[in-house]
Amino acid sequence: MDHEALRATALSILTTIAPEIEPAELDATRPLRHQVDLDSMDWLNYLVALNERLHIEIPEADYARLRTLDDLVGYLARRLGATPGAGTEG
Amino acid sequence: MRRAIAAAMSRSKREIPHYYLSEPIPMAAALEWLQARNAGVPITQRILPAVLQLKAVALALAEVPELNGLYRDGEFAPSAAVHIGVAISLRGGGLVAPALHDVAGRSIDDLMHALSDLVRRARAGSLRSSEMTDPTITVTNLGDQGVESVFGVIYPPQVALVGFGGIAERAWAQEGWIRAVPVVTASLAADHRVSDGHRGARFLAVLRDLLQRPHELAGTPAPPTGAQPPDGP
Repeated sequence: MDHEALRATALSILTTIAPEIEPAELDATRPLRHQVDLDSMDWLNYLVALNERLHIEIPEADYARLRTLDDLVGYLARRLGATPGAGTEG
Repeated sequence: MRRAIAAAMSRSKREIPHYYLSEPIPMAAALEWLQARNAGVPITQRILPAVLQLKAVALALAEVPELNGLYRDGEFAPSAAVHIGVAISLRGGGLVAPALHDVAGRSIDDLMHALSDLVRRARAGSLRSSEMTDPTITVTNLGDQGVESVFGVIYPPQVALVGFGGIAERAWAQEGWIRAVPVVTASLAADHRVSDGHRGARFLAVLRDLLQRPHELAGTPAPPTGAQPPDGP
């Protein structure tokens, strides 16, 4: 799965947690939880849903590295061993 | 919904003589315990700090039962069980505070599962009506918003509300040293017709002590001696 497919997957799961968001309006370089108003329970549910789809368990110790959507997509790509797509690696 | 909240809160402020107390609580021991625990289980079994806080509130109420129950017709009826109304914000605005039942008597794994289910159903609009009337006390946690503390309005006919702000590193002075320690500010809003500040303070002191002993909240054996978490000031 390349970066763009990962980003689409991450966004589509995000809309199940926060149905009111407009994915196209998200700024991928700004803090995600703040933009989407994800509380601790939402965030955990999001990671559980990502794990169900991608089979990647994100440890709590890594939460601090996942501030933005770009961070998250880059992290998932590294964990999956995917080749970076153009212009998305921070 | 806004109108229902306005009616309940206006009645509360009209009828209930609130008093307010707050206490900073070191969370290093609780967070260390939780991180170690969560690192050893699948993601679906992870527990949030809020669950430890809810369990600690329920156990502390056993020592100060005049905060847990309902005030009706000029009389307070304490409740044997602790049904915590958990304030849940809805994504479209507004909030509900349905009951998490028998918090004192359930394991933290069970409570995490029940809380997750409660939040999901609150947001889906599928709560049972009994869940809205069962709470014997309310807990509000605004920590995710980054505020330091929250002083709540009691939900009548309940007689107390416990608030938690965010867990953040603060300068903490102890035994002549200043260290950076994760701290949460817990607050109590309580009904002066039923309790007074002395008892309210006792509640917050017990709550603080319980949160220094997370293994007891979880019902697991204590860590070896020599690794004692710090007490409050």
